[in-house]
Amino acid sequence: MLQHVSLEIDRVTKRFGGTLALDGIEFAVPRGSIFGFLGANGAGKTTTMRICLGILEADSGEVRWNGTTSGDLPRRTWGYLPEERGLYARSTVIDQLVYFASLYGAAPETARRDALHWLARFRIPEYADRRAEELSKGNQQKVQFIAAILHGPEVLLMDEPFTGLDPVNLALLREAFLELRDEGRTVVFSTHQMELAEAMCESIAIVDHGRVIARGAVRDLKRASVRRFVRIGLDGTTDLRWLDGLEGVVVSRPGVDRTELELTNGLEPGAILAAAVAGGVRVTHFEVAEPTLEALFIEHVGRAPDDEERSLAP
Amino acid sequence: MARRDPLLPNALIVARREYRDRVRSRLYMASTVVLMALALGVALAPTAIRYFDSQTVTRIAIVSADAELAERAVGIVEGVLNSRPQGADPDTWRKPFRIELAGTGGEADRDLERGSVAGVLAIERGSDGGIDATYRTQGLPDATRTQLVQIAVFGLGVLDWTANLPSGSELGAFRTPLFDLESTTGPTVDGQPVSAQEIASRSFIGTVFIVLMFISILIYGMWVATGVATEKSSRVMELMISAASPRQLIMGKVLGIGGAGLTQYVAIVIPALLVLAFQDRIADAVLGPGGAAAAPVVGLTPALLLGYGTLFLLGFSLYAFVYAAVGSFVSRPDDLQTLSLPLSLVAMTGYLASLPILIGGGGALSRLASFIPPFSPFAMLARLMVGQVEPWEVALAVGLLLVTTIAIAVIAVRMYSAGVLLYGQRPGLRAFFAAARRAA
Repeated sequence: MLQHVSLEIDRVTKRFGGTLALDGIEFAVPRGSIFGFLGANGAGKTTTMRICLGILEADSGEVRWNGTTSGDLPRRTWGYLPEERGLYARSTVIDQLVYFASLYGAAPETARRDALHWLARFRIPEYADRRAEELSKGNQQKVQFIAAILHGPEVLLMDEPFTGLDPVNLALLREAFLELRDEGRTVVFSTHQMELAEAMCESIAIVDHGRVIARGAVRDLKRASVRRFVRIGLDGTTDLRWLDGLEGVVVSRPGVDRTELELTNGLEPGAILAAAVAGGVRVTHFEVAEPTLEALFIEHVGRAPDDEERSLAP
Repeated sequence: MARRDPLLPNALIVARREYRDRVRSRLYMASTVVLMALALGVALAPTAIRYFDSQTVTRIAIVSADAELAERAVGIVEGVLNSRPQGADPDTWRKPFRIELAGTGGEADRDLERGSVAGVLAIERGSDGGIDATYRTQGLPDATRTQLVQIAVFGLGVLDWTANLPSGSELGAFRTPLFDLESTTGPTVDGQPVSAQEIASRSFIGTVFIVLMFISILIYGMWVATGVATEKSSRVMELMISAASPRQLIMGKVLGIGGAGLTQYVAIVIPALLVLAFQDRIADAVLGPGGAAAAPVVGLTPALLLGYGTLFLLGFSLYAFVYAAVGSFVSRPDDLQTLSLPLSLVAMTGYLASLPILIGGGGALSRLASFIPPFSPFAMLARLMVGQVEPWEVALAVGLLLVTTIAIAVIAVRMYSAGVLLYGQRPGLRAFFAAARRAA
């Protein structure tokens, strides 16, 4: 199915005092897709989202949804899960969910019904009438997610939505993302967790120091990469001394079951297999792999996503 | 690119939540009950004071160079002041006054100074044979008592006039006795002591209203600031600011908390006003027949209440918008004290400027303060209370207050927009005023 570009971030620039937070940032998100917005802390992800929402005003450039600039869009177009989580501690879960949805123009009765549905979906229906302060951090995060989607927004902007979730809740949230996408909603989320982005996103933008340094479909970015990898599984050993003396190979991700090797200097994958056999180890798995998203990130940015701590935006 | 959201319905949704949260809190309910009890206590205080006063006997000294006239005066004043009210039980009723003949004027004045007598009635015979009387009191004279003494002096004059006629002569012209009032310490207007009842009433109502306004503005203003700071520190602001515009949020907050404040105010004031409205009956019930003769509070008119309401609403709004902006600049509610102190001092200045007005003073500065918006809610209210104000002055003060409140609201919304996203910065006056300059 042909996907139309619906969300356009068009050469957006934002400066805070003497710091250039966004430097002509530009990317497009197809409608009904899940889009990963990747970058280290302080790269400009939150500032971009706040400009989309109209919380901050861009110094130049604009954000458009279906051709309409964000300033002319109703607030209910957007659903926002901020990175900094917060709820009214002393209000009940259901009261504040209905309250937030009402601010977006949802009818209270509909909001209440949908909120109860989502609470059940996230396996916390019994918390509807509890105060938010009585909930665990993970459950509060699920409530905040519900608050962001309850009014049925066309675009969801999620800032680090998976941070701090246990595997069970993480899986629940992933399912919800996919379901929302299948309903035709556009999901943009930022994350440090490259595996998650790789598993969920059709396309991504990598942002660094307020500039987009790579963007496009994940598949295309991987294919365009000059980096080549081999994943190899060995029977009963993690000893890699058989690689000694082989030029043009770097252990990029050591592991017990699988080890990832990056090939450089034009080394062919077959040379790895040959070296393993020559070294007397039994190969149980051999795969010529595309670069992971993390490898792509490092390729473009020059460091891992969580290597830098820098805060530009207020 | 900036979105311009309509104020409604979101401002009302926010206001409803703020209102509901406040009025349902235990602190709100407890403080309402306590303040209601205090207001009732204040309203009942004058009657209570009169009740305790009625249990004591008040001494009044009569002084005259003419011994016969003095004796006669004692009898007449005794008859007028100690007449038993109709319906009073003769078995339990006690004379409230003791009328005594003083040796000399000097002795009587010394007793007055010491406080052992409440008043000295000096009676002299004029060159035309008529009676001249001076009633001296320490401090403000009691209006009812003074009126009764004046009636007694008139009666004395009539009696003296008829008693001194030679037998068989015809009645000559009667001269109404001259009656002068002297107060040793009380305020005067045009050389005459002002009615104690009027002054007491004006001061009483004025003080209550201005103290109430001062406390309300500070408490409810701090509610606004704390509400904003709490939303910010709990990070729920991040969700709020994407769901509603800063203008909707700040207006809703001021409206909701202002409404909660107004509800508390009404809950406090209505019972107190009912007590004041029925003070005659309460005084009759407590003090017995005739007890209501000196109604402790007069002059509480609908126009005055309307004036109070207008100045309260505008004054509260003005301060609440600034408090909201202040709240948006701190990362934790604990930091509010630093930034809110100067604002409290501004309100305190307005409050202090109003006090001299209430006691009949207040020079050019107090008059000026009644037009300058941060102070005018207090100072103009004080002028309204003592009736020292022209209609155009009220209109000017309210107009200036309204315009300033709107201007402050616009600036506060911009400061709030910037402030709620600022985290981790030390709150300081410099940063606050710098933001205010940028917002303006």
